[in-house]
Amino acid sequence: MSQSSSQQYDVIVVGSGITGGWAAKEFCEKGYKTLVVERGRHLDHPSKEYNDMKAPWELDNHGLAPERLAEEGHYGMLLAKKGVLKSDSIQFFADDKEYPYSYPSKRPFMWTRGYQLGGRSITWGRQVLRWGKKDFESNAKDGHGVPWPIGYDDLAPWYDYVESFIGVSANKDGLDSVPDGVFQTPWEMSSAEKYIAKNLAKTYSDRRLIVGRAANLTKPTAQQSALGRAQCQARSHCQRGCTLGAYFSSLSATLPAARNTHNLTIVTDSIVSTVDYDEARGKASGVTVIDAKTKEKRSYKARVVFLCASALGSVQILLNSKSKRFPTGLANSSGVVGRYIMDHFTGVIAKSEVLGLEDRYAFGRRPIATYIPNYRHEKAEDVDFIRGFGFQTTARERPKIATFGKKSGIGVMAKEQAKQDKPWEFKALMYGEMLPYYDSRASLHPSKVDQWGIPQLHIDAKLKDNERNMIKQAAADIQEMLEVGGCSNITIRETPPNKHLMVGNRTHEMGGACMGADPKTSVLNKWAQAHDVANLFITDGACMSSCATQNPSLTYMAITARAADHAAKLMEQGQL
Amino acid sequence: MQSHTITRRVFIGASTFILSVPLLASSFNKQRSLIEITQDGQFFSSSELTVLSDVADIMLPKTDTPSATDAHVVVILDAMMLSWAVTHTQEQFRACIKLIEDLATQTYDSVYINLSLAKRSQLITELDSRAFEQKKSNMSVNYRRLKEMIFHIYYTSEQVATDYVAMPGGYAGDISKTEFEAAQKRGYL
Ligand SMILES: Cc1cc2nc3c(=O)[nH]c(=O)nc-3n(C[C@H](O)[C@H](O)[C@H](O)COP(=O)(O)OP(=O)(O)OC[C@H]3O[C@@H](n4cnc5c(N)ncnc54)[C@H](O)[C@@H]3O)c2cc1C
Repeated sequence: MSQSSSQQYDVIVVGSGITGGWAAKEFCEKGYKTLVVERGRHLDHPSKEYNDMKAPWELDNHGLAPERLAEEGHYGMLLAKKGVLKSDSIQFFADDKEYPYSYPSKRPFMWTRGYQLGGRSITWGRQVLRWGKKDFESNAKDGHGVPWPIGYDDLAPWYDYVESFIGVSANKDGLDSVPDGVFQTPWEMSSAEKYIAKNLAKTYSDRRLIVGRAANLTKPTAQQSALGRAQCQARSHCQRGCTLGAYFSSLSATLPAARNTHNLTIVTDSIVSTVDYDEARGKASGVTVIDAKTKEKRSYKARVVFLCASALGSVQILLNSKSKRFPTGLANSSGVVGRYIMDHFTGVIAKSEVLGLEDRYAFGRRPIATYIPNYRHEKAEDVDFIRGFGFQTTARERPKIATFGKKSGIGVMAKEQAKQDKPWEFKALMYGEMLPYYDSRASLHPSKVDQWGIPQLHIDAKLKDNERNMIKQAAADIQEMLEVGGCSNITIRETPPNKHLMVGNRTHEMGGACMGADPKTSVLNKWAQAHDVANLFITDGACMSSCATQNPSLTYMAITARAADHAAKLMEQGQL
Repeated sequence: MQSHTITRRVFIGASTFILSVPLLASSFNKQRSLIEITQDGQFFSSSELTVLSDVADIMLPKTDTPSATDAHVVVILDAMMLSWAVTHTQEQFRACIKLIEDLATQTYDSVYINLSLAKRSQLITELDSRAFEQKKSNMSVNYRRLKEMIFHIYYTSEQVATDYVAMPGGYAGDISKTEFEAAQKRGYL
């Protein structure tokens, strides 16, 4: 039975993760009655589900995820990523057995989701890097994907705006590839990282090792303190939720700000199955949801709908929202909804030692890695690929000799040796830019549905020659950079060309409703507003026309705040 | 809402009983330097627990830092057999205890717990090196899994992870050993 809420909202925001939280805050603060519809359960902040205050011995099963989960086929994808699924944070990840999706058997796709109030803003890595000018120009320049209808300058003031609110601890590095912004005190580099950074800067004009840019507060502003957020204590338990509100999440920041306005309504356990389309008005009228517990249907109405259900979540909703005008899914006159699915990929992992700094140590657990930004935007003569890659890197602390749990040796010797300090170790993980391929696609499975009767998303995406060629070059480059950086005992693990690299593995899935100037080839205009449906905006990763190499959430936030500002102006003018 | 949360916690194996589990009744056999556990655990029998705790103490004996028994490794392991392990793992660990008992009989013609500490230590040391030399056999697989778990529980225990700092208060990445040790001692930057 379907019920309809009699209340009309100004705006419905679907999803309460990083982008949904932002949309809610912006509209509420502008005075609009806003409804956030979230499929997952309610969480308070701080939540009883946070485990950040627990010591290793206080965690369930001393931190290990129960084996039963693997045996019964739960969390298959996360378990495949060895060491990721732990008892301290498992509750914040969606189980793919409970929430299935589909992919070709030869080409598994990894879709990591967080179905709860706050979405993945609870578990994200908090690396916040601006995209540079070249990142927005690449599609137009090399002809892949749909040219971006916006450039860096369009987003720059919005980057400033979101950075000021979320709090970014970072160094002003003066690099065009990752422009500087509004920063709080940066985290320090370790002795080994400083040493490598110095050596790289001596040799290269274009390659830099910088400290990561973290959405963790090092110097809270008055606005952040007023929301109850405190300075980061360098515990690095962020994935467990932060009682101190020291890192940015919807729960700690945007949703409380939205709530303060008294314009916010949140409904949880409510799965949006469709955005409803009013054929007569040619506009979205609201959303239909299925109650996650009772499976009853109900609908909500609003003047404007913001889809922020994460890139693939929003694509699924669009494709499922069929009408006479849009038989293949809402806002899909171009046929591009679900196309150009991308993610960053890694095919190179490098490890090395940094000798000669054995008298130096680090204290505290810095909550962010270091980073080598993309230095290969231009296609060089000697390479067979376009675009480029960066590296997420770290030598945060002096390691100890690993315990003998996984190697031969017991008794006093094993105990004594495990206490010894080892030389610094520097690790680097390639993050490559995947090209936007038209045939990299998410569609609705013709027959498989989930337990609520919603067609499952079928995701078929693969890396091609350009990405494979990048991997070869990245392996050679990092070998050279580690040597130049002064590292020893370098080992490089490169994924062989015939081994499937799962797209989605880096959890930066993007595309599926890309922005573009031409309604025939893109879904959204430069305001992330659907070409076909003026009161529908999609501001999560689905709107991205290319994926660059930087972690993308900061850019989603800037796009969301900018889109909300535009939508509000149109509402004021009576156009929406 | 409440029931959903509880169901979910139970489903993902969340358990608090491990922390509050009582210590097992035991007596110390001075002659053989052996802790004899006299009470069945939640999963293992008292005789299995006696072998297990002895093996754990041989692997991780008392030095200037605690032994496996001091860190309650086997008590926690016993509880985790229900909250963490699947049947296959339970069988592996039981098989490993049996293997150790069989080895004692074959090598010394004696039950394991009647051997002197020196002989028990020699047996486990030998088993350890053999298990890592030929990794394919069931014996090796079972032993290495059990060992890994004993070490994991030990190094994440309150008694041993004493350098765990709950609230470092900040990060300093380039300090001397003296500065590092002072911060560790303070438990704060
Ligand atoms: C371990 C990890 C580390 C990461 N590290 C970084 C990083 O360092 N930097 C970075 O930039 N990004 C990082 N990411 C990615 C980042 O989390 C995402 O880009 C970001 O959360 C996307 O925001 P979103 O609002 O689009 O989606 P989410 O934050 O995923 O929120 C989507 C919300 O929509 C809800 N939803 C979905 N479908 C429906 C529906 N049908 N009806 C109602 N509600 C629905 C979900 O339950 C969820 O709450 C990381 C992710 C993970 C998992």
